[in-house]
Amino acid sequence: MSFAARILGRTPLGWLQLVHHPMRFAMALAGVSFAVILVFMQLGFMNMLFDTTVMFHKQLKADIVLVNPAARNLIDIRTFPRRRLIQALGVEGVADGEAFYIGQVNWVKPGTSDRGIILAFGVRGDFDVFHTPGVTALQPGLSVPGTALFDTGSRGDFRAFSKLIADGARPTTEVAGKTIQFDGIFRLGASFGSEGSIIVSDQTFFAISPKALPTTPNLGIIRVESGHDPEVVAQRIAAVVAGEDVKVMTMQQFITTSRNFLSRESPIAYIFSFGVMMGLVVGIIIVIQILSTDVQDHLPEYATFKAMGFTNRSLLSIVYEQSAILTVFGFVPGLIASLVCYELVRGAVSMPIAMPLDRVFLVFGMTAVMCFIAGTIALRRVSKADPAEVF
Amino acid sequence: MLAQASMPAIEIHGLSHWYGEGALKKQVLFDIDLSVARGEVVFLMGPSGCGKTTILTLLGALRSVQKGEVRVDGVELFGAGEKQVVACRRKIGFIFQNHNLHRSLTALENVRMGLEAQGKRLAVDADARCLAMLAIVGLADHAHKRQDKLSGGQRQRVAIARALIADPKIVLADEPTAALDSTTGYEVIALIRRLARERGMSVLMVTHDNRILSLADRIVEMEDGQLISAQTPASHIGRSPAPADNSLNTGEVTIS
Repeated sequence: MSFAARILGRTPLGWLQLVHHPMRFAMALAGVSFAVILVFMQLGFMNMLFDTTVMFHKQLKADIVLVNPAARNLIDIRTFPRRRLIQALGVEGVADGEAFYIGQVNWVKPGTSDRGIILAFGVRGDFDVFHTPGVTALQPGLSVPGTALFDTGSRGDFRAFSKLIADGARPTTEVAGKTIQFDGIFRLGASFGSEGSIIVSDQTFFAISPKALPTTPNLGIIRVESGHDPEVVAQRIAAVVAGEDVKVMTMQQFITTSRNFLSRESPIAYIFSFGVMMGLVVGIIIVIQILSTDVQDHLPEYATFKAMGFTNRSLLSIVYEQSAILTVFGFVPGLIASLVCYELVRGAVSMPIAMPLDRVFLVFGMTAVMCFIAGTIALRRVSKADPAEVF
Repeated sequence: MLAQASMPAIEIHGLSHWYGEGALKKQVLFDIDLSVARGEVVFLMGPSGCGKTTILTLLGALRSVQKGEVRVDGVELFGAGEKQVVACRRKIGFIFQNHNLHRSLTALENVRMGLEAQGKRLAVDADARCLAMLAIVGLADHAHKRQDKLSGGQRQRVAIARALIADPKIVLADEPTAALDSTTGYEVIALIRRLARERGMSVLMVTHDNRILSLADRIVEMEDGQLISAQTPASHIGRSPAPADNSLNTGEVTIS
């Protein structure tokens, strides 16, 4: 008796039927794997969008932020009156704070004549605000007008340019019509909304972004004194400054709000969710086709088994056994192929696309449900197998 | 227990059956009475369409009994529920005209399905039992072959092994020799008869095969849905002798 038969206490008929037709089995596995890849890619793209949306947020050394109430994301962040920030600095529990400027600017991609759009972050040179490794040490140097730090994670091939900067060559390129010298590098990465980013001082920011005004920053960075709860301090600030022109949020609220806007209020999450559904539907159709063909082929045998005393339930378990086999054997190659695709995407778009374990379990669950549904639809024919017809 | 042992394995009284509905409703069995004793081998003969196979399907609990009494090993099938139906099927060994072996399985695995049909977890010695049964039907060396590697006679022997592996009380067979040559056909039926004798099984077999008639205890003839005669093989064949077979122990024929 085979190992599987000893474990199951019965012949693994579903498995034997599948491997009896190797080509059909291979096609079924390819179908399931294809659906798995589709789902993984859709979820990967969706989470890449969410992750890159808050990627910048997570780099800020801030406990509380002030933003325009209508701000949606970094690209459409809008401004608020600087006096609100000054008012907030007087609230009990606030340690320090500073205005932060964000804007999209044109630039000439180094080493080419191509133009593009890059995100510029402007902050006072002596205000240490970035968690990003290396920036704290380089930031004071930005006080020299016309200097910037370059994001080596920007989309495109900037290896030579980055090496020049790292070697201390201080190369220049044109940003918003001004010649900007790059004194250092950091790594943040591109997003769906921007090809990359640069960090400049607030003064340089005003030079390359003429519409920006010192009196209307995009973000107010506030840090609380040790021992103070940011939520409590944020409530105090809100009591002082909140109104039509500014919104007070803890950093965690800022991250959650930015992410939720995409996942709940923009159509993007729906579009990706639709893609996930389409992947699953494709998988269901393929698996139904394969399992139905298999059931149809073996209908006389199923009818014979019924005549011999097999219950409908025991015959249905054969189809569900096949569903389980297709789930496992289709999922594994699908997962491996998806990891390869993630790596290719990561290299092509310079954006973070990760495969967290919870997503692996989620998609495995979806695959199991997909195969279960397909099996349930296919096995209706098993119930119709008439044992009287075998005579 | 004694009462059950003396009770016929199969009892049919006043059995009638119809196919179709409304204007298309057609009666195919008319007030059939038949009983088969334990250990008895009965052949059911008659022209095509006379209702032989319908009787087999009703006895096998593969169709619902519409009118009359049908008792299989003491279980009344008229109005039987699903549990009783399945329990009844598990007491019966079916041998089909087209053997109906599973293409994806080896001979051994096909025989093992006869044990699995009992609804219990396979015992550790299941394969040993199946191999022993295959040895009885002369296929010990073919246990691991799939049906496409077996001849027609070998497939039918596998089907017999599958039907008998769970020690059924009753065997229902539908033209088991139809696809076999005369020698193989005779051998297969002789084998069934010998096993019936050894195990006390009752056999009801539909056949048109005149070559095997000497192996029956009783031959029942049907015509147009009615039983028209029950005879000994000798009277049926006009007292012609059975084909000689020295290689198989066919057992002693007892006419009831």
